[in-house]
Amino acid sequence: MTALTFASSWAAAKAAKMAGPKAPGSKEIPEPQCAEPLAGLAFVFTGELSSFSREEAVELAKRFGGRVTGQPSSKTSFVILGDDAGPSKLAAIKKHNLKTLDEDEFLQLIATRNPGDAGMDDKTRKKKEKEQEAIRQGAKEMEKREKAALKEAKTDGTSTAKAVDTSTQLWTVRYAPRTLREICGNKGQVEKLLQWLQDWPNNVKSGFKKPGKTGMNVFRAVMVTGPPGIGKTTSAHLCAKLAGFTPIELNASDARSKKLVENSTNINNTSLDGWMGGGHKTNAVGVEITDKSCLIMDEVDGMSAGDRGGVGALNQLIKKTKIPIICIANDRQAQKLKPLMSTTFSLPFKKPDAQAVRSRILTIAYKEKMKVPANVVDQLVAGAQSDIRQVLNMLSTWRLSRATMDFDDSKELVKMNEKYAIMTPFNVTYKILGPYLFSPTSRETLGDKMELYFHDHSFVPLFIQENYLKTQPVRVRNLAGPEKDMKELEIMEKAASSISDADLVDGLIHGSQQHWSLMPLHSVLSTVRPASFIYGNCQQYGGSQAISFPQWLGQNSKRGKLTRQLNDVQVRMRLKVSGDKSEIRQSYIPALFPVVVKPLMDLGASAVDDVIDRMDDYYLSKEDWDTIVELGVNQNKDDFVLKKIPAATKTALTRKYNLREHPIPFHKAQDLGKVPKKIAAAEVPDLEEVFDVDDEVPEESAENNQEEDDDISKDRLIQISKPKKGKAAPAKAKGKT
Amino acid sequence: MSLWVDKYRPRTLDDLHYHDGLTARLKSLAKSEDFPHMLFYGPSGAGKKTRITCTLRELFGPGVEKLRIDQRVFLTPSKRKLDLNVVQSNFHIEITPSEVGMYDRVVIQEILKEIAQTQQVDLNAKQRFKVVIINDADTLSRDAQAALRRTMEKYMNNMRIILCANSTSKLIAPIKSRCLLVRVAAPSAEEMQHALEYVAKREKFDLPPEASQQIVDDSNGNLRKAMLVLEALKMQSPDLSGPLSIAKPDWETYCHKVADMIIQEQSPQRVMDVRAKFYELLSHCIPPSVILKTVADRVVDKVDESIKADIMHWAAFYEVRMRVGNKKIFHLEAWVVKVMSLYKHSFYGIELDDFED
Repeated sequence: MTALTFASSWAAAKAAKMAGPKAPGSKEIPEPQCAEPLAGLAFVFTGELSSFSREEAVELAKRFGGRVTGQPSSKTSFVILGDDAGPSKLAAIKKHNLKTLDEDEFLQLIATRNPGDAGMDDKTRKKKEKEQEAIRQGAKEMEKREKAALKEAKTDGTSTAKAVDTSTQLWTVRYAPRTLREICGNKGQVEKLLQWLQDWPNNVKSGFKKPGKTGMNVFRAVMVTGPPGIGKTTSAHLCAKLAGFTPIELNASDARSKKLVENSTNINNTSLDGWMGGGHKTNAVGVEITDKSCLIMDEVDGMSAGDRGGVGALNQLIKKTKIPIICIANDRQAQKLKPLMSTTFSLPFKKPDAQAVRSRILTIAYKEKMKVPANVVDQLVAGAQSDIRQVLNMLSTWRLSRATMDFDDSKELVKMNEKYAIMTPFNVTYKILGPYLFSPTSRETLGDKMELYFHDHSFVPLFIQENYLKTQPVRVRNLAGPEKDMKELEIMEKAASSISDADLVDGLIHGSQQHWSLMPLHSVLSTVRPASFIYGNCQQYGGSQAISFPQWLGQNSKRGKLTRQLNDVQVRMRLKVSGDKSEIRQSYIPALFPVVVKPLMDLGASAVDDVIDRMDDYYLSKEDWDTIVELGVNQNKDDFVLKKIPAATKTALTRKYNLREHPIPFHKAQDLGKVPKKIAAAEVPDLEEVFDVDDEVPEESAENNQEEDDDISKDRLIQISKPKKGKAAPAKAKGKT
Repeated sequence: MSLWVDKYRPRTLDDLHYHDGLTARLKSLAKSEDFPHMLFYGPSGAGKKTRITCTLRELFGPGVEKLRIDQRVFLTPSKRKLDLNVVQSNFHIEITPSEVGMYDRVVIQEILKEIAQTQQVDLNAKQRFKVVIINDADTLSRDAQAALRRTMEKYMNNMRIILCANSTSKLIAPIKSRCLLVRVAAPSAEEMQHALEYVAKREKFDLPPEASQQIVDDSNGNLRKAMLVLEALKMQSPDLSGPLSIAKPDWETYCHKVADMIIQEQSPQRVMDVRAKFYELLSHCIPPSVILKTVADRVVDKVDESIKADIMHWAAFYEVRMRVGNKKIFHLEAWVVKVMSLYKHSFYGIELDDFED
C-alpha cells in the first residue's frame, strides 16, 4: 500500500517536473571582460530565478567580485528579482529606491561591466589600497621577526635546539599569532583573559574575594569554550606568556586520570625556567621569565574513559589552586563538564567572521608569495566554518603544487575538506520546507534531502509534523478560488498520510523488532515526502506562522503525568468501583464532578462538608480532588473551574480536609517508612565495562539521600508522632539504595 | 453515600438482573469440584467485574468482600521504580499488569509464582485454591501472555486465574484454549430499563418509561453509564418529567466541538486548531480511539449522504494505524485532513479522482 502510493506520487511528481516551465541550467554563464566585473557592487537576491538556483546565483555574484547581502538596504547596488519575490524585500526596494535586475540583465551585467580602475569610485579604491598596504606591512613585519629569531639563535650558541628552520614548520606554527593584535576575532574575550592573568597575584593575596571589573577575579580557573580552530589554545598560551607565566599544558594526549591529576600536577609548582635563566632572560614575547607557572588544561571535554575521575580531581584542584588554571573545551554544555560549571569563569569564544580572518590570511598568502584574491579567501573561510587552522592547512598544501587559486579551485578545495556540521532541527525544517529545496532549479538529489533527516533523526520528523501546515505551498501558487482550496487540501492530505505512514515505520524501528535498516525509508516518509508536497515560503522567526518547537514532547509528558494521577485516583476508588482507568475518566469523573466540584462553584464554602463526605465515600484525597479538576476539558477545564471557586472556599476545603479524619484504603509503603517489598531486583550486568564510569555519581547520590532524609520531617504521617522520625529515617535510607 | 451505581451493585449471583443462563452456569461451576480458569470478555459496563465478584462470593463466601490494597514496588533493569497496586482478600488477589506498561511480564512471572507456590493455609476456606484476577488482560504484552501459559498449567493445584478483557482478539490462542471463555454481552434495552427501574424503586421514586428509554438510548449498552446518567438526571430535575436533556460528559462535548470545527472550515489553520484540541483531549487521558469514534460519529451526522461511507472508511483505516503506530496524533490529524479534503470536494461537487495528476 505504502509502496504503491509512493510510486504513483513519484510518477506524478516527475510528470509535474517535466511539464514545468522552468528550465534549469538553460542559460550559459557569460565570459566576462575582466576578472572581477562585479567588484564594488552589493547584491540582494529575492524570489526564484528561472535558470539558476538561489545558491548558484549567489555564488555567481561572489565569483565575479560582488558582495551578496540578505536584506536590501540603501547600500545595495542591485536587487535581482525572480518570481514570487518576498513582500518585505519588495517594500524595501521601494523604500530605498533601488535598481532591480532580472536574471538576463544580471548575466548581461557580468558580461559587459568592466570597472577597471576607473570604474571604481575613489572611496572603494582607497579602501582597497589601504588593505593592500596593511597586508604588505604585515608580511614585512613577519619577515623581520623571523630574521631576528634566526639571528638570535645563531649568536646564542647555548640554545641551538631552538633554532628551527622556519621553512620546516607547519604554517599553523609559523604564523601563530605573537601579539594580541594578531589574534583574529574574540578580542574582548582575550583581553579579559589577559587581565585576569595579570590580576592573579593580587587575587591570590586578597583570597579571591574581590570580583573586579569583570567579576572574574573571584575565580581560580577559566573555562574557554568554542568550536575547533579559532585560536583557543593559541590565545591561552599567548596570554600566559604575556602575563609572565610559563604555561604547562596538559591535553588529551596526556593521561589525566584522578590519580595522575592529584599527584602529578603539584599546584605549588614553580617553573624551572626562571631559575635556569637567572631571572634576566626574556621569552619570545619579550616578557621576563619568572618562576610563575600556569596550567592549561586543553581539551577538557576529551577527558574520557581512560581519565577516570579526572574531571572531579581537576575540580578539586581548582578549588585550592595557587596558580591560574585555564581549561579549554569545545562544548560548554557537555555533561562531563557540569562539575566545572560553578568553579570556573565561562569565556565562550565565537567563530570569527570572514572579515576578521581575511586580512590575516591575505598577509600570510602574500608572505608565501601566493596569489589569492579576497573573495577566494572568503569562500575558504566560509567553507571551513571560520576554522582558521583548517584554512591555513588547506593553503599550505595548495602551495605545494600551485601559487594561485581562483574561485572554482577554492570551491573544490572546500568541498574536499568539508567538515560535517550538524544543523539544528530548526534550520533543517526551514531548509526542507522552504521553497528552494524542491524547486525545479534545485540540484539536490534525493540522497541530499534524506541527509537532512539524519542531522537529527529523532527531532526532524517531529518538527516536520509540527510545521508542515505553516507553508504557503508553491504547488498552489498559481491557482485561485475553490481550485486552490481543493488542491491545497489535497497536497496537505498527501503529506499527512505520508507522516502517518512514517509513524508505522517508526513503530517497526523503535518497537520490539528494532528494524534500524528501515531508517532511510522513515526519512523519506517522515520528512522528504511530506515536504515535497507542501514546500513553499515559511517564516523562520517571529509571527504566528513561524517554525515552532514540536508540541508533541510537552503534550506527551503531560499525558504521562495525568495518566499517573488518574491511576492513583482509580486505585483509591478501586474498593468501591469496578471500572478501569478509562471508565473512571469517561464516566465517573463527569459524574463525580457535579457532586464534588460543582457545589463549591455554586454554593461556596457552605458545601465543603458535603463535598468532603462524598470524597471520603470514594477514599479520595485532596490531591485526587485536584486531579479530578485537572482532568476536565471544555466546560470543566481546570482554569475555568478554578476561577469560579473563590479562594476562600478553596482554603476552607483544604483546611477542613486536613482537620478531619479520613478513611484510607492503603498506605504507600514508602509513606510509612517501611522498606518496600521488591518484586524483582535489577539485573546486574556481568561485565565490569558495562558500568558507566562516572565517579561523581556516588557523591551526588549520597547528597540526595541526605536531602531526602531531611525531607522526611515534612512527611505528614511521620509528623504526627515525633519519636518515630529517628527510626524511620535510616530505614528509608536503606530502602533508597 | 456512594453513587447509585456502586450502592446497588449486585453482590451475589442471585441478585443479578440479566443473562440468567450465564448466572446459572456460573453457579453450577462454583459448586462443582473443578473450577476452571476463566476468561470474561465483553464491552465495558456490561457487568463482567460484577459477575466475577459474585462468582468469588459464591466460591468463598462473604470473606472475599474484605478487600485490602497492597502496594508493591519493584525495580526495572534500568533502576526505575515502579509501583503496582494489588487488591486482595484472603482468598483472591487482583492485579492490573497494564499499570506498569512494558514491564508487565515481570509482574506476571513474579507475583503469580509467589502466589502459586504457597498453599491455602486457612483450613476453614471453602476451596483449596486461590484465585488471581487479571484485569485488562487484552492489554497484556505478548511476552506477558507467553509467561502466563506455563504457569496456568503448572500451578493448577493452588491457583485459578480469571482474566477480564474487553475483547479476546489480542489474546494469544494458547491462553484462550486454557480458559473457559465467558462472554458477558451488553444488556438489551429492556434489561437495562429493568435495572434502572429496580434502582428507582429502591431509591423510592418514580421513573417514567420515557425517561428510562432516553437514558438507555444515550448510554449505548453501557449500564454503568446509564446508572450514572440516571443519578445526574435525578439531581438535575427531581421529577424526571417533561422533556429531558441529558448532559453530555465534558470530553464528549469537546469532541463535538472538534467535529463542528472540521465542518465549518477546511484550511491549514483549522487543521492546526483541531490538532491543539486533539492534544488537549489526549493529554487529559481520553483514549484516541474514543476520540476518533466520537468525532467521526458527529461528522457523519452532519455531512452529505454521499461521503458518509468514505469518512467512516477512513476513520476505520486510521484507527488501525493508531493501534499499530506510536504517535496517535499523527493518524488523527491525517484523518482530519482526509475528511476536510473529502468534504471540500463534495461541497464543490467534484470527485476526488478527477484531481489525480
